[in-house]
Amino acid sequence: MTRNIHPLLIAGTVLVFMFLVGPLIIVLGAALSDTTYLTFPPQGLSLRWFENIFQIDAFRRTIFTSLQIALLSTVIALIIGIPAAYALNRHRIQLPGWLSTLFILPVLVPELVLGFSLLKNLAVQFNSPIYLSLLFGHSLIVLPYVIRVISASLASFDFSIEEAAISLGSPPLKTFFTILLPNVRSGVIAAFILAFITSINDVSISIFLTGPGLSTLPIQLLAHMEQFFDPTVASVSVLLMLLTVAVMAVVERTLGLTFLAK
Amino acid sequence: MKRFAGWTLAFPATLLIVVFLVLPVLATIWTTFTTPAGPFATYLSFFGSSFRRTVLFRTIQVSLAVTAIALVVGILTAYVVSRAPGWLKSILIIAAVFPLLTGVVVRSFAWLIILGKNGILNSTLLKLGLISEPITMLYTQGAVIVAMVYLFVPLMILTLVGVLESIPDDLIQASASLGAKPSATFMQVTFPLAVPGLIVGAVLVFAGSFTSYATPQLLGGEQVMMMGTLMYQQAMVTFDWVAASTIAAVMVVITIAIVAAMNAVARRLNPMAT
Amino acid sequence: MTQSLTLDSISAHYGSTQVLENLSLAVGEGELVSLLGASGCGKTTTLRLVAGFLQPTSGTITLGGRDLTRLPPHQRDIGLVFQNYALFPHLSVADNVGFGLKQRGISGDAKTKRVGAMLDRVGLAHLADRLPAALSGGQKQRVALARALVIEPPLLMFDEPLSNLDAKLRIDMRVEIRQLQRANGTTSVYVTHDQEEAFSISDRVAIMHAGRIMQLDTPEILYQRPANAFVARFVGFENLIAMKVVERDGAKITAEMAGGIRLTLPLEQFGAIPDSFILACRADGLQVTDNAAMEGIPATLGLRTYLGRAYQYQAETPAGALIANGPLTRPLDAGVTAKLVPVPEQCTILAPEAV
Repeated sequence: MTRNIHPLLIAGTVLVFMFLVGPLIIVLGAALSDTTYLTFPPQGLSLRWFENIFQIDAFRRTIFTSLQIALLSTVIALIIGIPAAYALNRHRIQLPGWLSTLFILPVLVPELVLGFSLLKNLAVQFNSPIYLSLLFGHSLIVLPYVIRVISASLASFDFSIEEAAISLGSPPLKTFFTILLPNVRSGVIAAFILAFITSINDVSISIFLTGPGLSTLPIQLLAHMEQFFDPTVASVSVLLMLLTVAVMAVVERTLGLTFLAK
Repeated sequence: MKRFAGWTLAFPATLLIVVFLVLPVLATIWTTFTTPAGPFATYLSFFGSSFRRTVLFRTIQVSLAVTAIALVVGILTAYVVSRAPGWLKSILIIAAVFPLLTGVVVRSFAWLIILGKNGILNSTLLKLGLISEPITMLYTQGAVIVAMVYLFVPLMILTLVGVLESIPDDLIQASASLGAKPSATFMQVTFPLAVPGLIVGAVLVFAGSFTSYATPQLLGGEQVMMMGTLMYQQAMVTFDWVAASTIAAVMVVITIAIVAAMNAVARRLNPMAT
Repeated sequence: MTQSLTLDSISAHYGSTQVLENLSLAVGEGELVSLLGASGCGKTTTLRLVAGFLQPTSGTITLGGRDLTRLPPHQRDIGLVFQNYALFPHLSVADNVGFGLKQRGISGDAKTKRVGAMLDRVGLAHLADRLPAALSGGQKQRVALARALVIEPPLLMFDEPLSNLDAKLRIDMRVEIRQLQRANGTTSVYVTHDQEEAFSISDRVAIMHAGRIMQLDTPEILYQRPANAFVARFVGFENLIAMKVVERDGAKITAEMAGGIRLTLPLEQFGAIPDSFILACRADGLQVTDNAAMEGIPATLGLRTYLGRAYQYQAETPAGALIANGPLTRPLDAGVTAKLVPVPEQCTILAPEAV
């Protein structure tokens, strides 16, 4: 294949990728600075701001909350999303057309609106624990990821294998666990990891569903940034970037990163 | 029996969406029509306030600018990425995915460091002697646009790489064999075939910008208020929940209208369907 | 207009894998040469090299004296017909056909006229405004053909153009392609894995295997006088029997195979026979008989299958497992001892090689 691409285009692409990666490198540098204010390039190398994260009570608590919410909401989304994806792929003809529209609503409805509505019409209206709204809000926004990734795995799954197992005497539910799930395992792992990182990073839902006593890490970061201008936020950002790297490694090993370009 | 199976499996997800999304959001929209002042009073007051109109138009303006820039940058970059040899393509895709998976707070924070009064850009310009005193870049519309472009360009690149790679190689080769120069092939074959994908990407970016919160909050602040930040302020600072609900309703209607319209256009333009 | 194509000692690699080895090929003016072989034999690679989508690691490609080797594809002026038609889905039939003219700066009336004339020739004038998605397979194929022909290229190349059509249409289309090619007298290269298609349409056929041309000849010669064991098997000589001449006697020879079996072969049919040779016979070339008095290869018959015009037998012989046909009038059962009698018209002689 000949690939004659205009040199100007190549130069432009290089600039774009510098634009994409540069700011994150700057954050990394700022996190390593020994100064009490944010600066780049870093002056004196130090990991003290990383230690500082864990000395601030609010960060310790919100990191824990964020991990908890991400884990629980992802598990909920998997438990209800895998059967839904299966139904959409296997029993599509029996399901009404509006159902697939319903399933994209969590992407379509602005997250801010969803967060506000959960606060107003669930937490306040019924005086229910805000934690519940936060958890189900997160489950909702990660559900489309689960359905999409699992659907992609199912698209390459040959359902006649499942029929073969049933014809050999395996009951349907057992077939689901022994035949189907093992074959879409990489999809499940990828769905888990993408849902998890989406929840961890979420701002728009959480901003309405946090308050005194309950906050998530990104919301705490926003609050901290409005008061202090020290490298702590940069350090937390670096931790989050490390998490991203781990997520990418898992996605690469399961779906392949090119999946994200589909 | 089988019909039952499909429904049973889809039921929990349906229930979650209906109970925790459809009903609460409808309730929010419902309350905007049931105020004591009459069904459309809140909307009249929303569009009657020049401040709120400004915020709405600014939000549309910023979102359009971000979408336009992301489209141009995205298509050209995606074109190069899609033609790059295997190993380089992998690296470039990783470089685009990394920011995408990094949270919006972190990515907006990076621009806070860059554009701040004592930020990198100001100190560099000062050092170079191009300016004599720091210029205000934070809390301007420009800062919000730059940071949002940063937020959405990876999404656009990845979407468009997918679109470009779905165009069969045969068509590009057929075009070349018929004598079309690479630029002619791009303009007459690649680009027209990518238009439906471009529309999808544009909708994603526009809707994302239009309803964003963290970026305008951090880089725009009170000075560059957008729909998202205004809604938060009305709901959580002034506790005017009817006003916040009105903004929510306007956001929902505009988002869904744009997505629906663009989907219809994209479907009509997609010659590869059927 | 039409020009001859020459490939001179072309080698090509995908990464470190060699896919073409020192391949040379000359296609004369107005000639249609097919590249025939199984997938992976290098036929498509050869086409892509000529089209310019691949670069050879060594060797040169010339078309009418013009060196194409380093030219980008869009400057080569070659009409290509793709396996999947590769019609531009966003352009109408007329715009698809006119695409190449547009690139050549031909527009307005001149373009409309040529496109119209071309669509008339392929019988699609009434579909000029349709999009490709609204066409049947055969119609798409005609548009692809028209699009390649309208630029009046000095060379036409076809990449398995009929493989997506059903059997009946395939036969109609290949006649149509041949007629158009003849009428224009355009030098053509035709890639296919279908032997019948290649033989029916071509002036000459190159049978390819593992990146090399095994034999390049007219269909008649390939079918009757394959040059080597590979080509022999390819054109349906199922039985290859290694033999040695033990006695030469004027118009005939006596030769011996494994197990000491001797056959007498007339030179009149086979021409000169070397001392050591391979007797290649189609299944029709070994007639099964239970007449023990006949001279032939003694065999124990195995599975019998019905071919319509004859019975076919799997047979065990001292020279190994062979496939032979027997008359419908006399079906023989498995386990029967019989003779396989060579029919010279359905057999040929090959030089010895590792079989």
